[in-house]
Amino acid sequence: MSQPGRVLVAIPAHNEEATIADVVARVRAALPSCDLLVVDDGSRDATPSIVRREGVTLARHPCNLGYGRAIQTAIKYALRHDHDVLVTLDADGQHDPAQVPGLLETFTAASWDLAVGSRYVKTRSYAGVPVDRRLGMQTFSLTVKAFTGTRILDTTSGMKAFRRTVFAPLARWHFVDFHAEALVYLLRLGFAVGEHPIVVHERRHGTSMYSPISWLKYPAKTMLMSLVALWQAELTRRGAAS
Amino acid sequence: MTLVGLVVLDVAALLLLAWLLNLVRVGRLYAGYAIIFMGAVVLVAIGCSVPALSAPIGRALHELFPGTGVLVSALAFVVLVLVYVLTQVTLLAHRVATIAQDLAIERAGPPRPPQRGE
Repeated sequence: MSQPGRVLVAIPAHNEEATIADVVARVRAALPSCDLLVVDDGSRDATPSIVRREGVTLARHPCNLGYGRAIQTAIKYALRHDHDVLVTLDADGQHDPAQVPGLLETFTAASWDLAVGSRYVKTRSYAGVPVDRRLGMQTFSLTVKAFTGTRILDTTSGMKAFRRTVFAPLARWHFVDFHAEALVYLLRLGFAVGEHPIVVHERRHGTSMYSPISWLKYPAKTMLMSLVALWQAELTRRGAAS
Repeated sequence: MTLVGLVVLDVAALLLLAWLLNLVRVGRLYAGYAIIFMGAVVLVAIGCSVPALSAPIGRALHELFPGTGVLVSALAFVVLVLVYVLTQVTLLAHRVATIAQDLAIERAGPPRPPQRGE
């Protein structure tokens, strides 16, 4: 695999003791020459001790800050340590690290600033997705399309590749989450964003960060933050941001 | 409500929504709080603008709380104070999060050398 410079693979983790060791081992097997970072977001289980035992670089939040802040910590870390590319993937074993080289090849060849590992770009449909999740996916995808003109089918994928060009704007922004709003922000700032097909396995351990209440709160916050991201990006482009 | 009153109310609601949105943009108000306030502004504006809703609501309020004008003013003051308090809470939360992130990065140190293939 030809690498686009120095690559950091970051795994945000919150209470993933059942899977983190396996995910780390698979990342090391698939990407032996990449730096590896686990961002522990205030886990209350054995996740941090397992990561230390595996000898992986660990950035540990003293309290739970949320997924968006965990990704932002990874970005700040990559910025601080001069990485050229940051790859993120989930700690629950849903993402196969063996798919990252393919993601990076497409990312490099297409000269994207952000590549999204997409579950839906190949079929261009949400077939097989439960109705409630499908509604959410379609809403966020259409929101990104309405605000930017670009259709991103999988706006909530946790597998992404970020080029160094987007580190600074993402490190400065105050995200609630790191999905649709970040895509709107980057696309409106003029960065190139694309999707690469991946296969995602169902979660077998732990619990999703999305609770029943979050199915109401999350779309509302995402829509609001997407609108705010659009406004902020426009101001930044016109050089009027405060 | 008179037409002038309706226009004033709706313009005030739009300005309030824009203000709340701007507070979120500059990181001074958490999105979750803003949604609650914006939802309340929209509901009040609709309730006052639609005659079929505003008339019965107005009558009920006047019967329950004589001197509704004072009540509305007091409620508006309380809401503004609440927005101010929550902007301070948001700022504090952002600062705590930034400190936590910076501490995590400092303590992580430089990346450990990647393992080479065997």
